[in-house]
This record gives sequence, structure tokens and C-alpha cells, in this order.
Amino acid sequence: MHSSPAMERLAASLKRLPGIGEKSAARLAYFLLSAPDSLLTELADAVGRLKSDTVICGRCFNLSDRSPCRVCADPRRDAGLICVVEEPADLAAVEKSGCFRGLYHVLGGTLSPIDGMGPESLRIDELAKRIAAGGVGEVILATNPNAEGDATAHFIADRLAKSGVRLSRIACGMPLGGDLEYADHVTVGRSLENRREIS
Amino acid sequence: MSRLVSEALLLRAVDFGESDRIVHLLTPETGRLTAIAKGARRSVKRFPGTLDLFNHLRVSVSRRRGGRAMAFLERAVLISPFLELRAVPTRYALASYLLELMDRMAPEGGAGPDTQRLFSFALSSLSALEGMAPDLRIRLLFELRALDALGLRPELRHCVRCGAEPGVRAGFYVADGGVVCSSCTVRLEGVLPVHLGTLRVLQQALDYDVDRLERLVPGAQAVVEARNLLFRFQRFHVGLELRSERFLDESLGEPVA
Repeated sequence: MHSSPAMERLAASLKRLPGIGEKSAARLAYFLLSAPDSLLTELADAVGRLKSDTVICGRCFNLSDRSPCRVCADPRRDAGLICVVEEPADLAAVEKSGCFRGLYHVLGGTLSPIDGMGPESLRIDELAKRIAAGGVGEVILATNPNAEGDATAHFIADRLAKSGVRLSRIACGMPLGGDLEYADHVTVGRSLENRREIS
Repeated sequence: MSRLVSEALLLRAVDFGESDRIVHLLTPETGRLTAIAKGARRSVKRFPGTLDLFNHLRVSVSRRRGGRAMAFLERAVLISPFLELRAVPTRYALASYLLELMDRMAPEGGAGPDTQRLFSFALSSLSALEGMAPDLRIRLLFELRALDALGLRPELRHCVRCGAEPGVRAGFYVADGGVVCSSCTVRLEGVLPVHLGTLRVLQQALDYDVDRLERLVPGAQAVVEARNLLFRFQRFHVGLELRSERFLDESLGEPVA
């Protein structure tokens, strides 16, 4: 890049972000150079306060500005129901559905031996402790329905088998707006297995 | 532009950028193949439910002729997902280990009977594991067969130094990749002690069909010797600890290496 050292420094920093290559970094740097000062100040402030203003909830391990987080601290939530998700983004997706009124547990990933992720890398012990503390009636395993997510769900189910709580797995099948013609045969098969009566 | 339409086994998939995935495939035509699936995480029509670990696929891959750029995965259709591998942690651990071994050691871009054989082994081993409850014995037998399919078959019948029968004081010499006879053993350092019974079981494991491996029941001493021998042999050729090894050891209740 033939530009100022400040531009080069910014582009070099942006390039370290995931999914950002050299060209994208240069494009973003040029955009920020021509952007209003207010945007730059807002962005710098947000980046600067990101770590200091973000905490991990000590109960569910979601990202929040306080611990316990707003969900865990809400007395209207059903504390007997725990939905286990892989990442905070998955928790946000379930919350967005508006269909769940229980609490969460964020694992921090999935069992992926090929990537060096074993059970010790996940918050499975913490989940077992929450259940052992009592008051939990059902655990919904809402890891993604792929190889790693399914294997993680089975691993947790094995681990909690003697806990006495009801263990369930999120349903799996055709997506809303999907097209049977383009779906793989496993998805179609699971949709039929998990069919519901219509009234 | 050249195009390959082939069966493939998905060894690994890594998210790339905002919507792409990089996949490591094992095909009977090329051995290991790395390709980028553009828009794979967004498109529900091009790669529906396909780019997942253990999946047996039919793929269409294109590559610029003579180019060094990564190949493009244009289309993938699911043949079998081997779903039962996910249902039992020891199965998942062993299948992951075998895939990682292939991902690291399979030849890339090679063609011929060896890649056909490796692909057949990979498919038949995943299929066989779906019905098994793996323990240390099963792990060792499959590990030996995987190394064999990768072209790393240890010599178990004759001394790798002089060609003689092994004899009762035989050993295994990792650096030469096979058994050494009683006479040669005394002239070498670092030879692993191994009983003839262990060598016999390992030789049988090389001869059996993969789906019949479960029927082999080596004694406790043979399991210990085979574990030691294969651990050193694998580490000598792979050169490092595989990432999936720790989880596999823990799942099987083995002390972590």
C-alpha cells in the first residue's frame, strides 16, 4: 500500500481480523479515512471498552455486562429448564425465537477431537454442577445438528444419564421455506420421523 | 479448467471468511484433495446437509489446469452420513482419529491403486465402526489397518535385517519398520520386545476383512505389546501427536500419552 504510515498501521491491524484479507483491510482503512469523525470516535470508544465492559456470566457463561446476566437474574424465567447451546450467538438465536422461557448454559464449543477440542475444553463439568445443585427438571441439548454437535449432545447425555433430569434434543428436519427437492435424504428422513399431527 | 466427478469422504471442514468452507476430501482418484466451497454456509441448495465430518459424498470439483490455486467444490450430494458414529463417544473418538490420520498422511494429488485402496479402507472402516463399541483392542486393530492402507505396513513375518524367521526372542525395530530375528536383535539398540503370539495376531489383523476385525481377541499381553509397538511406529512415521489422540485415549480409559 502506498499511503501514510497511519493508514498502513490501521490496515495491518484490520488484516489480523478473521475473514479480512489485504484488499479488504485496505478498503476498510480508506473508508474509515473518509468517514465522519463521529463514526471514528464511536468505533474507537466501542473497541476500547469492549473488554472492560464485557463479562462472562458466572452461571450460564453467556457474554453480558454483568454477572449473573439479565436472563439468569430474571425471576420470571423457568429455572427448572436449561437449554444447552454451543456459543453465545446460538443463545441469541434461541432468545430471538421468543419461544423459550428457561435458562441457558453456553458450552463454549463442541467436541471436535480433530481440532483438539475435548470435554475439558467445554463447560460440561459446570453444567453437571448446576444440575447437581438441584432444581433442574429438564436439559434441552441444543447443539447444532452436525457431527460435532450431535456427538457433543450424546456425550453430555451419557454424562448426565444418572442425574435424574429429563434430557431432550432439539428437533431436526426441513427448514421453514425449504424445498424437499433440494434437501438431502437424511434431513427428509428426520423430518418424517419427527412429524407432528396437524389439526 | 479440469473437472473431477467422484465419490469422496469428508475428512475435515473449516469455516473460511463469512460464508465459505474449506474442505479436505479423500477421493479414490486423487487421494487427499483440498477444495473451497464458496458460499457453503449460506446456500441451502448447493450443499444441503453435506459438508459434515464423516460424510460419504458424490462431489464435483473443478480446478484451473496447471494452476496452483485451490480447487472449487461445485456440488456435493450426500450418499451416507454414518450417523451412528456420533451416537457413542468412543466411536466418535476413534473415527475422528482415523480421519485425522488420513488427513495428515494420505498422499495429495496422487492417483492409482493405492488411493483406491485407501478410500475403500476408509469407507469400510467407518461403516464397520458404526456397529461396534470400540475399546483399546479395536483401536489397535483399526490403527494397524489404517497405517497399512496409508502404505505403512509393518513387516511382521520375516526379519527386516536378514529375512529369517523371527524366532522366540524376536523384537520389533521401529526405524526399519518391522520384526527383527533373535540373532539381529542382539546387534541393535532400541528393539521393542514382542512375543510371537502378538506378531501372529497383528498379522491376522492385516489379513482379515475390516468388518471382521472385531472377531480377533488378542490376550492381555498381546494388547500391551501391540499398544507399545504401534504407538512408537505411528509416532515415528507421523512425527507428532495427533490432536484427536488425547480424546481417544481418555474415551478408552487409557493413560494419555
